[in-house]
Amino acid sequence: MLRTVQLILPALIPSWNFFDVIAPSPRIEYQLLDDASKPCGDWQAFRPRPDNISLLTMLRRLIWNPHWNASLFLVSCAERLSQDITPEHSAREILTRMKRDLKAETDAPQFRFRLVFIHREDEALAQDILYTSAPEPLA
Amino acid sequence: MTLDLAMRWTEILLAIALIMPSVEHIRAGGKERLLFSLRLILCLLLLYPEIGAYSAYICLAMSGLAVLILHRFEGPYNGGSDRMSLLILFCLTLAHWLPQENWKELAFGYLGLQLTLSYFISGWVKIRNPDWRTGRALRDVFAFSAYPVAENLRGLADRKTLLLAGSWLVMICELLFPLSLASKYTLIPFLVLAASFHLSNAMFFGLNRFVLAWIAAYPSILWLQDRFIG
Repeated sequence: MLRTVQLILPALIPSWNFFDVIAPSPRIEYQLLDDASKPCGDWQAFRPRPDNISLLTMLRRLIWNPHWNASLFLVSCAERLSQDITPEHSAREILTRMKRDLKAETDAPQFRFRLVFIHREDEALAQDILYTSAPEPLA
Repeated sequence: MTLDLAMRWTEILLAIALIMPSVEHIRAGGKERLLFSLRLILCLLLLYPEIGAYSAYICLAMSGLAVLILHRFEGPYNGGSDRMSLLILFCLTLAHWLPQENWKELAFGYLGLQLTLSYFISGWVKIRNPDWRTGRALRDVFAFSAYPVAENLRGLADRKTLLLAGSWLVMICELLFPLSLASKYTLIPFLVLAASFHLSNAMFFGLNRFVLAWIAAYPSILWLQDRFIG
C-alpha cells in the first residue's frame, strides 16, 4: 500500500521541473563474451541513434515510436540503477531488452553491459563509468 | 463550456492519446500484453459516443489499471508524459465520483491548475539557472543528452545564437502562460503555441507521447478560464 502511494503521489502532485539542470546523461554499452567470460571484442553502444533521419520518419514517429520510447525507458532504468533506486528491477528491464536485441545479432554465449554517463567539464565532454554488470548468458 | 462537455472532451482526447502507447506495449508480450490489452479495450469503450454515465466506471477501471502499470514499471514508463496522463485520469475519475458539483469542479479545476503550473514552473526553474539564461543548457541538451533522435542534430549545439534565442523564447512563453488566462482570445493562441512546442520536441527529441498527453488536458484549462474568468 505504501509503495502504491509512493508511485501515485508524483502523478497527483507533479514537480514539472523539466530540464531544470542538464544532468549527466547515460549510455548503455555492451561487450560480447566467450564461454570463459573473456571479451570477444570492444565495448559497443547499445541501440546507437542513426546519423540522420528523414522528415518523413520524424512525422511517422509522431504516431508510432515504440523503439525510441523503449530506449527512453532504458535511459530511466540506467539513471535509477546508477542511483540505486529499484536497482534489481532496472537491471532486469535493461537485461531483458538487451538479450532480445542481441540474440538476433550474435551467436556469442554471454555478454555484459556498463553504464557510461556523459557530462560537460568546462568546454569538453567527459564520461564516467558508473556501473558494470556481471556476465550474463545470451542463450 | 460546461463541466460535462469539458470532461467528455478530456475523456476522448485521453483515450486517443493512450491508444498507440497501449499498442506499443501489447507487442512486448507477457504481463505487459495483458495490462495494455485491457487498457486498449477501455480506451476504445471510452470513445464510444453513447457511453454516457458508464464513462465513470471506465475511468475508475482505467485508474485501477494505471496503478498496476505503475507497479509493473516501478514508476512511469515514459516520465512526464505518463505522469500527465495519470493526472488527467485521476482528476477525471475523481470528478466523476465525487458527490457534489463544487467538488467535481474542484477535481477537474485542479487539472487545469496543474496544466498551468506545468508550463510556469518549467519556465521558473529554467530562468533561475544561469546555464539556461546563457543558452548553455540547451546547447548541452543537443551536445550530450540522450534525447536528440539523430547524431546530426548534435551539430545544433554549435549554433550558440540560435539556441540562446530559443532558450529565452521557451522561458518567456512558459513564464507568461498564466497571463494568457486573462481571456480566451489570449489563451487559445497560447495553447496553439504550446502544442507546437510539444510537436517540435516530438520531432527533435522523440517525445511523441507528450503531444497528445498535454493536448488532452487543454479542455480543463479552457473550462477553468471560462468558469472563473470568462
